Amino acid sequence: MACIIQVGVGSGGMAVLDLIIRDPQVTDVTLIEPDRFEMDNVDRHLIGHSGVGRAKVELAAEWVREHRPGIRMRTVSTSLSADGCAGSIDELADSADIGICAVDNETAKYAWDELMRRHAKPWTLGEVLSGGIGGFVHWFAPGNACYGCVAGYLQRAISIDQGKAPDYSQPDGGMAETKIPASRAAISTIASLHALVTLGLLTHRTGYAPGFTSLLFSLEPVANVFPLAFKPYRFQIPRAPDCLICGTGGLHAEEDVDVAIHDALARLGQA
Amino acid sequence: MGLLDSEAGKRRLLSVEIPIIERYNDGRDPAYRIQVVRVGTTLVLRYRLKPVHNAYQLETRLVSSYPSVPPETRVLTPLRHCPHLLEGQTICLWRQGSTRMTSRWDPSRFTSVFAIQAAWRWLACYEVWHETGEWPLPEAK
Repeated sequence: MACIIQVGVGSGGMAVLDLIIRDPQVTDVTLIEPDRFEMDNVDRHLIGHSGVGRAKVELAAEWVREHRPGIRMRTVSTSLSADGCAGSIDELADSADIGICAVDNETAKYAWDELMRRHAKPWTLGEVLSGGIGGFVHWFAPGNACYGCVAGYLQRAISIDQGKAPDYSQPDGGMAETKIPASRAAISTIASLHALVTLGLLTHRTGYAPGFTSLLFSLEPVANVFPLAFKPYRFQIPRAPDCLICGTGGLHAEEDVDVAIHDALARLGQA
Repeated sequence: MGLLDSEAGKRRLLSVEIPIIERYNDGRDPAYRIQVVRVGTTLVLRYRLKPVHNAYQLETRLVSSYPSVPPETRVLTPLRHCPHLLEGQTICLWRQGSTRMTSRWDPSRFTSVFAIQAAWRWLACYEVWHETGEWPLPEAK
């Protein structure tokens, strides 16, 4: 029996979910996704035209019930950072055995990383590169490198997207990482690798040792990026000792934190 | 993580951002120190920079989703319209997906004071552009 919690059921997330729920050890599924299914999702998504206009999370839950009627489903149709949802998402994360992240904006990835670390849960992340030229699959375990360590290590050097700058007038707005759409085939390939890594981690738990923490798999040859298609690149990314995301705990007791912040802001407010 | 409303955010604030702001302020002329004001769930850093001949008043906003979202820096002193200046005199400092390391906001390595140093560099470029019509640094790619 295993309980999974997944954020994101877009084209990649849905493909991962479909593969994960076929495994008999999965008995409980929680899905988090705020978006609606739009016409331009149809070409790359498992759901067809009949789903347009409905919440993606409802469509995904129906898909799961159709293919694994015995699975216990829970759905959250808001974003990770939505006001008033933190408590319920915390409870759901705490009861899960593993997390799956299938979102394409950095803010959500950092929020998910923080949620998983807070509850000491292992989790996986799949990322399709712009244009579907390849993709990453990462797995994270409590105490190991966080998403900040991994993103800093990889430095996001592999990108062929030359899109416009982010919209700084809406700093809270989502910043889609993949601008050139990937094909359904490319998304499905990376989703399959993502599902394999997730099921491996779920099965072997602390004994999981595939020989990498991040796997980059090329799908197309691209000048100055990938000399060959279908080539795996394995990264063993350690926790960065100076990471400002996961290396910042332990300086204050929990009850002192608010007082210390209040005092510091009072000091700096008069600078 | 929310900087002011999550445990991880508060710890980042206490163990990373506040110490580095205090170190920046330490021994600095009072007129050029960073002042921090809380506005709802946002922290606003107000400060003055003098990259070359002119002094500029700025504010850098750390929104609730900082540090995963980069800080937003505005020049309050009126500027001529120039390259890399967005609406509301917000300066364009970070470009997601850039292949130049310092052009991408990296929350695992950068702090609010790094953003202030980047604003200083931007203003130095602005002063050169004001005199010559050319932005002295290449576009972020």
